[in-house]
Amino acid sequence: MTVMPRLEDLEDKSFDPFLVEKLSTGDCPDPYPRIHELRAQGPVVDGSYRKQFTDVPDVQMGHLPQVMVLGYDAVMKVLTQPDIFRNKEAFENNLGRSFGNTITVMDAPIHTRFRKIFQKAFLPQVVAQWGESVVDPVVNRLMSTFIDRGEADLIEEFTHHYPFQVIYAQVELEPSQAPIFHKLAIAQILSSIGAPQGPEASAKLGTFFGGLLVEKRQNPGTDLISHLATVEVDGERLPDDVLISFLRQLMNAGGDTTYRGTSVLLTGLLTHPEQLAAVAADRNLIPQAIDEALRWEGPVTSTFRYAAQDTEIEGMPIRKGTYINTVLASANRDPRKFENPDEFDIFRSRSTRHIAFASGPHLCIGQHLARVEMTRALNAILDRLPNLRLDPDKPAPAIKGHLLRVPEHLWVKFDR
Amino acid sequence: MKKWMCMNCGWIYEQEVGDPEGGIAPGTAWEDIPDDWKCPDCGSLKSEFDMVEI
Repeated sequence: MTVMPRLEDLEDKSFDPFLVEKLSTGDCPDPYPRIHELRAQGPVVDGSYRKQFTDVPDVQMGHLPQVMVLGYDAVMKVLTQPDIFRNKEAFENNLGRSFGNTITVMDAPIHTRFRKIFQKAFLPQVVAQWGESVVDPVVNRLMSTFIDRGEADLIEEFTHHYPFQVIYAQVELEPSQAPIFHKLAIAQILSSIGAPQGPEASAKLGTFFGGLLVEKRQNPGTDLISHLATVEVDGERLPDDVLISFLRQLMNAGGDTTYRGTSVLLTGLLTHPEQLAAVAADRNLIPQAIDEALRWEGPVTSTFRYAAQDTEIEGMPIRKGTYINTVLASANRDPRKFENPDEFDIFRSRSTRHIAFASGPHLCIGQHLARVEMTRALNAILDRLPNLRLDPDKPAPAIKGHLLRVPEHLWVKFDR
Repeated sequence: MKKWMCMNCGWIYEQEVGDPEGGIAPGTAWEDIPDDWKCPDCGSLKSEFDMVEI
């Protein structure tokens, strides 16, 4: 039997790390008009993406030379040339400080080695088995809290919880420890701005995950942690420091993005009732509905790379040492690739792949798990909330944020 | 069902779909894809694909 290690709370129990989340996401109602303007200026525009939308100083990156790369082809050139556009320098002083030696902060050849081992635990045939055993119980438990009411806020009561509870289930966290886990996961981000609670949270999560790995290696199951603790490629296992760093990142990379993606999916469908009805009638449409939601309002609008040499994008020079705001949102709404790009249309041509999960060697490692979670969540909602519709007496959903996008509320009614 | 899958990202090659953006016409058999073709999602080489049970 697994004996679970216990998490320790922050020394200062009154400290509220969730405030930083609000600061990082902002409340920009629609960044896309500005993104279209920037893209019209060319594939490379001086300055930082963040500065287009907020005056809050960026203590991590604000002093560094930056450009924005915009448009589908230009963004793809950045993402798929990892020798020129590197991750290590782009992320070592922010994500690296928070999470440690995570694969996001690595480049080839070491990234290639470790990525292949991690991916083995996240391949489609592996994550598919968690749909029934892990995701469904979480989804059903959350829905049972509002299903008899005939109305709900699907953000506050569902999407904001389920991906995180899937992670808690994967680490077999005691329910009483969940609030501390969530708090530490958010607090560790503060390392990058010098707050003492950041390294404290990173250390406490590291101690917890270290103990968990020992337990799982002694008593492995079919869960994610057991897979990661024991998975091998060509006889090589993941070093503990790399594995613990990855697990630190899981709440943000795996929980937060899925919460946002699912929220946007439901918002897109509920604000387009004819498309919601089509998906309800034909569940084979769910994969394309998910892809369209991620293209239309990808949870992460921009990511960073670092130019390791003097180079150019579509004839525009970029100097060595420049930090590249790689504006994924500009690619996914590029009118040269997607007709009527601002429209949510699950029936649009899929001849061009969206890059909400990025592209190239750092493509989202958890995308297959995210798809399983979103599919299970949407199926459950369509099965169990008949005649689902927006609540006409409440404000319409409003997706907000310049960097990380999500609506705060999604008030719905359904038949009991 | 057995499919060819990229071991670096999990992308699955569907013969009936091919990879038109990567120059592989729909219906192209796996054996006929050139060795320098790359995974459309992560850029790995054809040699990084394995046959897996889905």
